[in-house]
Amino acid sequence: MKEIRLTTKILKTLVKDRIQYPDRLFVDTIGIIARCGILLILYWYVFKLNNGVINGTTFLFAAWSIFFYFSFSVLRLRDISREIMKDVQTGNVEVLFSKPISYLSYRMWWQVGSGIYSFVVITLLTVVALIFIIGLPPTMTIGIFIPTLILTFLCGAILSLFLYTIVGLLSFWIEDINPVFWIVDKTIMILGGSYLPIAFFPEFMFKIALWSPFGASQFVTHTVYETWQTNWYQLLGIQLFWIVLLGLVVYFMFEKAKQKVSVNGG
Amino acid sequence: MMKELYFALYAIKKNIQSSAKLRTSFLMNIFGVAVNNTAFIILWGFFVKSVGIIGGWTVADIIGLQGFVALCFGIVFSTADGIRKLANYTASGSFDRFMLSPKNLLVRIATSSFGVSALGDIVFGIVCLGIFAFLINATIYQILLIILLVIISTIVFLAAAIAIYSTSFYFTDSSSVTDSLFELFLTPSLFHGGAFQGVMRFIFTFAIPSLLIGALPVEIVRDISLGKLLLVSVLAIFWFVVSINIFNRAVKKYESSNFMTFGN
Repeated sequence: MKEIRLTTKILKTLVKDRIQYPDRLFVDTIGIIARCGILLILYWYVFKLNNGVINGTTFLFAAWSIFFYFSFSVLRLRDISREIMKDVQTGNVEVLFSKPISYLSYRMWWQVGSGIYSFVVITLLTVVALIFIIGLPPTMTIGIFIPTLILTFLCGAILSLFLYTIVGLLSFWIEDINPVFWIVDKTIMILGGSYLPIAFFPEFMFKIALWSPFGASQFVTHTVYETWQTNWYQLLGIQLFWIVLLGLVVYFMFEKAKQKVSVNGG
Repeated sequence: MMKELYFALYAIKKNIQSSAKLRTSFLMNIFGVAVNNTAFIILWGFFVKSVGIIGGWTVADIIGLQGFVALCFGIVFSTADGIRKLANYTASGSFDRFMLSPKNLLVRIATSSFGVSALGDIVFGIVCLGIFAFLINATIYQILLIILLVIISTIVFLAAAIAIYSTSFYFTDSSSVTDSLFELFLTPSLFHGGAFQGVMRFIFTFAIPSLLIGALPVEIVRDISLGKLLLVSVLAIFWFVVSINIFNRAVKKYESSNFMTFGN
């Protein structure tokens, strides 16, 4: 009960904060225009040059897949790594450890709360704009699409939080986690289907994307393709497997990390 | 002028010495950035493999593009990282101490910080341009062109950074605005240059100079196009003059917040 109250409080406070100070929304909007918007225009041109079909995929599918990746990134779940590093470097972690709350769940809910407002606003507006400009692929109108999209989105969010929390927890052992963060982040970017939609992946790369936790955290980009209708339960299974495994890694790393902290008071 | 240059070099030297003290972090940052940048080559490399050649752009050109952009980014943000912190300086009031300094204001701000990770960009950029030159079987003339274009592109990059971060003086909490504008400039510069055609090419050459720091230099070296070289050079001078003007005008907007943040 206490956990639920804390979670609601964090989410409410952060959403109110973001509504009051919309600068983050401004940053995220420009960010999605600079990355996703320009990329979609370029892809539109590239598909036109190739008579509308590349690797058996049309622009409609590729565009929605790319959009799902960038929309998911607006949640900024990856920032949890740097927040943990900042806590460790500034000593703030000592203060948070002494409070009657779970440090990791506090950090994770904080991360969700900081991005949720921008995510909802930008996603809704962009979905409407995309429907009007390019339309909806038939795969997005079938019955199982919305429920499975929500499921894979939630699993992807949990998996992303676990992956980036592991990177963040490394700051208890190494002074600067940025290089590790960059490597993990870019692996997710490549295997998630960001600048290159998964339909363009060569066979071996598609397999890595399918079976690694990096690709699994972005399965939301797979939902627009026809193959999703037949193998969604397999992909959800892979996500659940990684959630359990990485959840255990996070738990044991955090237990070890707590032993590294020496509270000096002050 | 020479005095200012000596001061800038002295400040950069001290910044490097200070950063190198944390040896492991220093080396890991350089390595991490190189891996980080390689991701874009992998992505656009697979893009070329799937889509085929667009606008005459091959994988070699993608490597050249990443090389030019990384090298410009590295040179500017290793030596003049302070520009990126302008929004923080103005918001926190620590800009006061730069105004009180007898040195050139822009040089003093630019050299006030050193980006360790940007050294990784420099290493990565040089390696990429080396590979690019090898893959296109570059002649001596083309190698000289690459060196000249690195200088020109760096001027454009520096000018864009100065212009963008000068907007810090116009907003109360400007870091979000400056970061967004910088992203709007940098992100398209990393995209496949051949896919920019028509209106998009015009916008990202003249209105937002993203293509001037990567795509156009690659095309100039590949096609040995003197017309484009002239265009890029003229635009570089134009952007540099404009950015200095923007900075000088913007500084006049600054109001001291009377914070005593001496030192550092």
